[in-house]
Amino acid sequence: MKQAIDIAADVRAGRVTASAIVEACLEALGRDDLVAVTRILADRARAEAAAVDAQIAAGRDPGPLAGVPYGVKDLFDVAGLPTTAGSTLYADAAPARTDAEAIRRLRKAGAVLVATLNMDEFAYGFATINAAYGTTRNPHDPARLAGGSSGGSAAVVAAGLLPFALGSDTNGSIRVPASLTGVYGIKATHDALPMAGVFPFAASFDDVGPFTVSVADMRLVWDVLSGTTAEPTDQPLRIALLGGRFRENADPDQLAAMAAIAPDAPVIELPDIARARSAAFVITAYEGGQLHRAALAEQAMAFDPQVRDRLIAGALLPKALYDEAQAFRAAFKQRIAALIAPYDVLLAPATPCVAPLIADPRITIDGALSLARADLGIHSQPISFLGLPSLAMPLARPGRLPLGLQAIGRAGTERTLFRFAAMLEEQGMVGVSAPAGVLQGSMA
Amino acid sequence: MGRAFKLVLSIDRFLLLLIAVVVGASLLPVRGVAAGWVDLAADLAIALLFFLHGAKLSRAAIVQGIGNLKLHALVLASTYVLFPLLGLALVALLHGWGNPLLLSGLLFLTLLPSTVQSSIAFTAIARGNVAAAVCSASLSNLLGIFLTPLLVALFMQVDGKGAVSSWHSIWTIAVQLLLPFVAGHLLRPVIGGFVDRNKKILQPVDRGSILLVVYSAFSAAVVNGIWTQVNVADLAGLLGLSAVLLAAVMGVNVLTARLAGLSREDFIVLLFCGSKKSLASGVPMAGALFAPAHVGLIVLPLMIFHQLQLFVCAALAGRFRSVAEARETATAIPRTEAEIAAAAKAVGVQIPEECLPGVTTNLALLDRHAATLRGTPQ
Repeated sequence: MKQAIDIAADVRAGRVTASAIVEACLEALGRDDLVAVTRILADRARAEAAAVDAQIAAGRDPGPLAGVPYGVKDLFDVAGLPTTAGSTLYADAAPARTDAEAIRRLRKAGAVLVATLNMDEFAYGFATINAAYGTTRNPHDPARLAGGSSGGSAAVVAAGLLPFALGSDTNGSIRVPASLTGVYGIKATHDALPMAGVFPFAASFDDVGPFTVSVADMRLVWDVLSGTTAEPTDQPLRIALLGGRFRENADPDQLAAMAAIAPDAPVIELPDIARARSAAFVITAYEGGQLHRAALAEQAMAFDPQVRDRLIAGALLPKALYDEAQAFRAAFKQRIAALIAPYDVLLAPATPCVAPLIADPRITIDGALSLARADLGIHSQPISFLGLPSLAMPLARPGRLPLGLQAIGRAGTERTLFRFAAMLEEQGMVGVSAPAGVLQGSMA
Repeated sequence: MGRAFKLVLSIDRFLLLLIAVVVGASLLPVRGVAAGWVDLAADLAIALLFFLHGAKLSRAAIVQGIGNLKLHALVLASTYVLFPLLGLALVALLHGWGNPLLLSGLLFLTLLPSTVQSSIAFTAIARGNVAAAVCSASLSNLLGIFLTPLLVALFMQVDGKGAVSSWHSIWTIAVQLLLPFVAGHLLRPVIGGFVDRNKKILQPVDRGSILLVVYSAFSAAVVNGIWTQVNVADLAGLLGLSAVLLAAVMGVNVLTARLAGLSREDFIVLLFCGSKKSLASGVPMAGALFAPAHVGLIVLPLMIFHQLQLFVCAALAGRFRSVAEARETATAIPRTEAEIAAAAKAVGVQIPEECLPGVTTNLALLDRHAATLRGTPQ
């Protein structure tokens, strides 16, 4: 699959124009049958590509992402368009005056925005089942979910329609679809990447991040979004495996891969992980409910029915319960910080299983069936709760349904995670496999 | 006069009942055949208490209670390390200052296992983690059958027969506590709904069982001449030392709970299970370990400490309960149709008819998460 780093190199070297790249990309996106794309921004994309080509013609450097097309989840502000957050409620809202800060940084680096992408309404779900815009399909098996809530972003990258895309992650909305579609996706240290111009969900946990097809691309996009370029040292990495609930709800292939990746690593158990997840549930429900309370009071029936009932329930939660969950979180973060201090990378499953069928969107958690849209984030939610960075990495398993691990680091150590992932990629243990027999994009 | 009346009213009603029971046992101690009946009533009340807790607790809560290894380790450390260290220190400090037998008794009480019944009943009153308390207190008591004689042999001069009826203690715990608990839990599918809907029935059983235990124990102490074997100064001294010991243990446990990051519910277990000493185990053990002529004085500090711990824990449990009830009211998730309607009205949201089933289901899910957050999964 074509990487962003290669496209940018070709454009910068003049081997291909940004406009040519964008035209091929627009043509491929037009054939999207994954229900991943909500709006194709042809005019804007052509204008941005032309600007890149003009800079090259003038001998100027258009930036490290010169001519690289990308898409954004439907909750980023795009100048001139209403920010829908996946809801018809805001389909006719006033258009955004400016781009979200993340888009501004990418444009400055030469990237070309070509599409907005499907999501669970208001990012409330792990499935990208959207009553208004449809259910996004998994490129590896269209009968299966792509995961969510950034399912559209993950699907277009996995299908090779775009080399990278932006999503957002509140409780796992990047890592879950990354795992189910077999691409890389990062949830940054909380507040490390710019949130300005992003429709919020639960401010305590909201973060944006990219999906990519390689670690090199992840580094490149990270540099641009974070505005940093520092490299970590080459000291040996101290790895630990997360035990307890992470191991109890895992695919045997994930456990085998973890054992192969770090055979001598200690297994550590994060205490009170079930309580942490429950506290995250309460905080998310409360903040989501508060955010939409006014809209629920005025036009509840305009919401996606599944999301609406969850948001109303959240709006009815008492503030004292929310405060209790936040107090637990503060103490829990301190305890875990001390516990993981001796390690550089914690390795755990990103999701408990492969992508569920759309016709039967249920998964097994603790031996019982539960709804995928609520529980696919069982392993990502406690990490968001801690505000730690976590990189979802696809296990290298061509021809089989994708499955991901997450490499979790201490706060601010994303580059250590990239170094770890690059080592595994080089060893052939993780890596993106092109879906077989389904739509292949122009970037494939 | 008015102020004094208000002060009396402000004291926890349960504490007043406790005081009344102690005064009653002093004036009218139960003895002879009647004592056997009171003991039987206390045993039945305790069995009923455990039966109802077994029916009330979910399988998940029990599994979590058993697996709470850190808490069990802290309770055991408090009972068998912290207490003995403090006992040795107190005895060393007071060497030559008082009746040697009373000092031996003071040390002996620090080597005893925790109580089971009152630890759990107080944990329940205080809205602590009952499942963990059942495990912690039972474990402490069972281990004590072997550990206490060992510690006594290590730190004290023993002159008795040295044979404690271990099997009898195990049998008592199994039949009186664990069997009703398991029976209640196995019947949970049948009576669990009733118990959940009528949680208030647990309160009189919790409290009644403690009052009966206190009446029975204090009567026995009075019949054995607690008021005649020592003078008032000795009693006051023992009461003071017991207070110092109890305060030190509770203080260390409060600090430990903070350092270990225990939840409120687990902290209550550590505080109550880790600070108790069992009269029920201590008296027969003393009878077996020490010369008969010395047993009366050796168990006296235990009797004093036992009364004090009951009063202090009753006061604390009542306080914890009030705080917990206030918190529960403030953090209660609306569940019934009426509660949901009231909560929706309060935040200005009109819930459409067709949304009500979905909202109710989601609130039930959030209620389960709230219970898990508090360490008491449903």
